[in-house]
Amino acid sequence: MITWEEIEKDMPIPSVTKQPSAMQLFMFSAVTWNRHLIHYSKDFAKHDGLDDVAVHRALLGSFLGQLLTGWLGEDGEVKRIEWSVRGSAFPGDEVVCKGRVKDKEEENNEKMVECEVWIEKNGKVIVPGTAKVKIFN
Amino acid sequence: MTELPDEAKRMIGVEKTKTYQVTKKDIRRYAQAIGDLNPLYFDEAYAAGTRYGKIVAPPLFCHSFAFDDVPAEELREDGLPIELDVPLPVTRAIGGGSVFDVGSPISPGDEIKVTKKIVDIYSKTGKSGLLYFIVIDTLYENQNNEMVAREKATYIQR
Repeated sequence: MITWEEIEKDMPIPSVTKQPSAMQLFMFSAVTWNRHLIHYSKDFAKHDGLDDVAVHRALLGSFLGQLLTGWLGEDGEVKRIEWSVRGSAFPGDEVVCKGRVKDKEEENNEKMVECEVWIEKNGKVIVPGTAKVKIFN
Repeated sequence: MTELPDEAKRMIGVEKTKTYQVTKKDIRRYAQAIGDLNPLYFDEAYAAGTRYGKIVAPPLFCHSFAFDDVPAEELREDGLPIELDVPLPVTRAIGGGSVFDVGSPISPGDEIKVTKKIVDIYSKTGKSGLLYFIVIDTLYENQNNEMVAREKATYIQR
């Protein structure tokens, strides 16, 4: 249970580890109707200079979404996620989604929390980002 | 800054719209694809007991119908989404980023109007040479004209 009172600056968001598989990349390509070969043809990915098929920009964003929804449960809602992909992730890579509270303030009578969120691979940040969530109570 | 080809410049600001009806299956499969098995996304009985009272979609669900579903014959040989098929002197798509705003929750049966346009194309010289940036703004609104999502995505090509 997350309440407005207990949220404070620098509070860590419980981290979430993901290990996307080739099957997950295929499922995400299918469900987003993204036919780009870079996500399912290893030959094409290598020809394009990558080590393997690449995890989608949007799938990495959804991992940050899960970091936030997992933390909030039904006590809040995600209102904004901003992320940029600085490094690639490949099937089998362990990626760790992390975050912390930056600030909280009431906006139009809504309880909003600004967070810093990011994804690490081998201890390096490959996806930096920020997020805004609304707390219900 | 390198001059953009005219055909690329002409694509800036051209708006495209489509309407998409959300089904239970769309939400369930999207949740499975991102690896989130929260019953709120597929179990009607569970969802009925939540503040929403019905199944709702994960925050970035609109990605499931962000790309235009044109036939494969209209795509480039590498299958690049048609929105990103801008005539630039580069072929590789790399990285990119996004600002994704989430509005009203989405549930099965919702009719989502998608309005999409390229708002900017520009070039920069990076460490690895010339890079092109394509900025696409997509607004998603439901049948009650409420914003359900808005994404400003930047795609990089080199």
